[in-house]
Amino acid sequence: MGAIREAFDFSDFPLVERIGFGIFCLFLLAFPWLGMDSFGMAVMIQFLLFSLFGMGWNTIGGYGGQVELGKAQYVGIGAYTVAVLMVRWDIPYWFSMPLGVLIALGYSFLIGYPLFRLKGHYFAIATIATSLVLQDIFINWNFVGAAKGIELPIKGNTFLYMQFTNDTYYYYFILAYFLAGVLYMNWFRKSKLGYQLRMIKIDEEAAESLGIDARWCKIKAYAIASAFVAVGGSFIAVYNLYIDPESVMHLELSIMIALMAMLGGAASLWGPIIGAAILVPLDRYLGSWLGGHKELMGVDFMIYAAIIMFIAAFEPRGIWGIVERYRGRRT
Amino acid sequence: MVLADAFIQGILMGFLFALISLGLTIIFGVMDIVNFAHGEFLMLGMYTAYCLSISLGVDPLVTLPLCGAVGALLGLVSYYGLVRYLLRGPMVAQLLGTFGLMLFLRYLAVFLWGIDYRMIKKGLLVGKSLTIGPFHLDMTKVVCALLSLVAFTVVSWIIFKTRVGKALRATSINREAASYMGIKTERMNALAWAMGGITVGIAGGLLANFYYIYPMVGLLFVMIAFATVALGGFGSIKGAFFAGILIGILETVFPIIGHLLKTSIIGPHYKMTIVYLAYFLVVVFRPRGLFGWEQ
Amino acid sequence: MKKGLFLSLLVLAVAMGLLMGPFAGGVAAKAKEIKIGVIYPLSGAFAAAGRDLRNGAELALDVLNNRYAELGISIAKWEGIPSLKGAKIKLIFADHRGEPGRGADLAKRLIMDEKVVGLMGCYHSSVTKTVSAVAERYGVPMINGSSTSPVLTKRGFKWFWRTTPHDETFTKDLFEFLKGLTEGKVRGVKAVPKEEIKRIAYACENTEWGSSVAKVIEQMAKEYGFDVVKGILYSAKSPDLTTESQALVAAKPDCMLFASYISDAILFVRTLKSMKASPKVVWGQDAGFEIPDFRATLGKDVHGILTRTVFIPKVVKVKKAAGKINALFKKRYGTDLTGASGRAFVALQTWAHVLNAAGSTDPKAIQKAANELFIPAKELIMPWGGVKFDKTGQNVLGTGLIGQYQAKGGKVELEIVYPFDLATADMVYPFTTWK
Repeated sequence: MGAIREAFDFSDFPLVERIGFGIFCLFLLAFPWLGMDSFGMAVMIQFLLFSLFGMGWNTIGGYGGQVELGKAQYVGIGAYTVAVLMVRWDIPYWFSMPLGVLIALGYSFLIGYPLFRLKGHYFAIATIATSLVLQDIFINWNFVGAAKGIELPIKGNTFLYMQFTNDTYYYYFILAYFLAGVLYMNWFRKSKLGYQLRMIKIDEEAAESLGIDARWCKIKAYAIASAFVAVGGSFIAVYNLYIDPESVMHLELSIMIALMAMLGGAASLWGPIIGAAILVPLDRYLGSWLGGHKELMGVDFMIYAAIIMFIAAFEPRGIWGIVERYRGRRT
Repeated sequence: MVLADAFIQGILMGFLFALISLGLTIIFGVMDIVNFAHGEFLMLGMYTAYCLSISLGVDPLVTLPLCGAVGALLGLVSYYGLVRYLLRGPMVAQLLGTFGLMLFLRYLAVFLWGIDYRMIKKGLLVGKSLTIGPFHLDMTKVVCALLSLVAFTVVSWIIFKTRVGKALRATSINREAASYMGIKTERMNALAWAMGGITVGIAGGLLANFYYIYPMVGLLFVMIAFATVALGGFGSIKGAFFAGILIGILETVFPIIGHLLKTSIIGPHYKMTIVYLAYFLVVVFRPRGLFGWEQ
Repeated sequence: MKKGLFLSLLVLAVAMGLLMGPFAGGVAAKAKEIKIGVIYPLSGAFAAAGRDLRNGAELALDVLNNRYAELGISIAKWEGIPSLKGAKIKLIFADHRGEPGRGADLAKRLIMDEKVVGLMGCYHSSVTKTVSAVAERYGVPMINGSSTSPVLTKRGFKWFWRTTPHDETFTKDLFEFLKGLTEGKVRGVKAVPKEEIKRIAYACENTEWGSSVAKVIEQMAKEYGFDVVKGILYSAKSPDLTTESQALVAAKPDCMLFASYISDAILFVRTLKSMKASPKVVWGQDAGFEIPDFRATLGKDVHGILTRTVFIPKVVKVKKAAGKINALFKKRYGTDLTGASGRAFVALQTWAHVLNAAGSTDPKAIQKAANELFIPAKELIMPWGGVKFDKTGQNVLGTGLIGQYQAKGGKVELEIVYPFDLATADMVYPFTTWK
């Protein structure tokens, strides 16, 4: 019970942020009724999905300070478990999703153990390497459809398999995950593990001298991050109804996940949400406006890249860092 | 026989990988930063060779120094325009910044040259192959290997034998101490970026002789360059050299073993897997790579 | 302090602008305009193909909406859709970048926000899969012109039609051709003993398309009595293909078959040439082997390579309509029509015929019209028997071509060698270019 109370307790945030977040939640709940077009809805779903990914990444990447660039492999595990079980044995989403999360957890412990012997850049490149290896295996594994990927059977509107003909259902579905994620992260940042991680990030040796098992803490945080991402992956499977290694396990997906959280502001509750709120619409709208113009090819990405460079250079703590700096100086 | 051929081809590819990784490891060694845009530097080197050899009508080999110069310029501009500011931030911000640079340069190339595949068709080396006994070797790759050796020798000489090299090494070992000794660390950083740019620019100019030129071409090589540098040990020049060759051999010999054993489990479709797996295993047992410095 | 404030304001402004932008637009659609959503890979790694597709579709649009009586096909005289009082078609292009998820989102945008009457696209079979699933869900008709994965029309969809033949048909063509080679049916080549071309090796890229081609090759080889001595699935994004080429050469095949995209096709030719590979037949399954860049980049090194395709400029010798349209295309975009642009042209042409027959933009009417459609061969620029869909939505009158690159003087031409009765030149056999 204490944990649940902690999760709902936002009282250590300034009033402005609490009110802001409250309004934002109301906006999210009411969004489908605001008469937005369906592309806007699709973009919103992507935004919530990437916020969820980003929050997961934030446990290990933000609070733990480990630059992790291999989250796509867990998106793949979550998505593939749901898809394979549904196609092969007609198993409903609500059984396969938890199983996918369990597999992701198991796998994350398996590779997390050797992985966290490494530090800094060696760690970052190693996470990319493991993700690429798993992607290669999936590309060649016939049981999971190899490179062809898997098409999920269309079942019509059903809560058991979480398939809907209307995006509004999907929207509330991912919104529920998103809110649960926010609550969990709110608890996590105040939990024992959360404090231990921050201490490790500041000074690993000092933390160890205080009796914290740094490696074990990182492995636990990594597992939590993986579970988050696997849940998001399971959503992709039932939302797109078609997955292949190229689209759910690609290196660029890993980088996007880390990028959004870092850009918004790592190690803060709002950071990944802000990052996704900026990058997802930017990517989709710029792409769909400029994509149609032959002579402007590439300009959308250049704008996108310029914003990323600008923020990295002038406020390494991300956009949330800008907000905090502004506020810190004022008061 | 087939195995020997694969081995030789692998070594040749290895020299190329080593040459591409050289710049990455120099930059890392001096300032602890992984340059995601490295592949894009390579790509721009290739475009330089292409544009010059088309517009001036000269052999692409002649343009190599110019490719190096463009690379150096690119390195300096990136350093003074962006990387200098990134250094203040944590590793996360550095990755983010150079990743942005990568995207920017790539799509700048798309904007400038479009998305067509280009290829240099005329040149001393283009399309030639060297036959030694039963082995057919691509002429460009042979020249590439020789130049790679030259580049490594020159860079090692600069770093280990000259005054500037000493200053560079001092900066990489302890930035603050170096600056107390009167070394202008800012300038050393810029020098590292320029050197990195030159080597990768030349690699690009060479690669243009036998590879297609395309805005997205950098991505193909940069992942291998990362694995190479990490396997050899970040910042180690010797490491990049041997790791490059090791990866070249692994990548070509491994699938041939599958061919000889007549199994389809081992084959070309896993050739990148084996490279990453090798990297993973090596660093798990030697967390500083093969030749990395102990800190 | 000022800088921080300025920055946060800037970021906020950009974010707001992007979020609000789409609301601000919304120009009222003109009457008498039929919107068709077209989803192609316009940027990213496959943009070269995307540009080609787009050119083909835009040319067809121009021919339909304006008068080009001299072309001699129906849509050139229509100036819009006759049964809809001359309503013009408007194409709305969207860029999927080769990502299935992005394609599905764009399909929703086109259907719900742009209110398109129908969809067209998407080149990549994987993207076509998700996009057609969206179209099926919303009951919006979709005509696909260039995705060749056989499974696409085996899913029981009611709103999906495909004008192009698929990979099974194409691969069958190859084996018919090889059979013809042993029987002396090929123009300019005496019957070749089967033993001489029996050993087959293939290299297919390992995504959806390539791996399904590989499967069909295995299956057909068995049917036609050829030996597959080596089969390779490889990643098109590999920085070098030395090993793959070596494995192919080591198997000493008589025929080398490829399913490659453009970058890997170029690399294969370069690498195999440096190894002085000496197969007797080299055949590529469209895509990379057929894009203009392939010939333009490699020049004479492609002399003798066969490629399966659906359109070859030489078709003009046998089809009048094709000649005139190809000339128009060349004048406008500087290259000949290709399989990609030609099929995009036909896909839009099919849309025009379907809409004309339906006489309405009501989905049900379009569905009925598409199922009953027949476009005779003389209307098409493709050397097909016409366009007629079976119950699954597959065009049953589509056929493939096999062309051969032949260097003549300084130029490299693509000549037709199959079907045998359409052959425009003697075949170059055996293949000796790389020796």
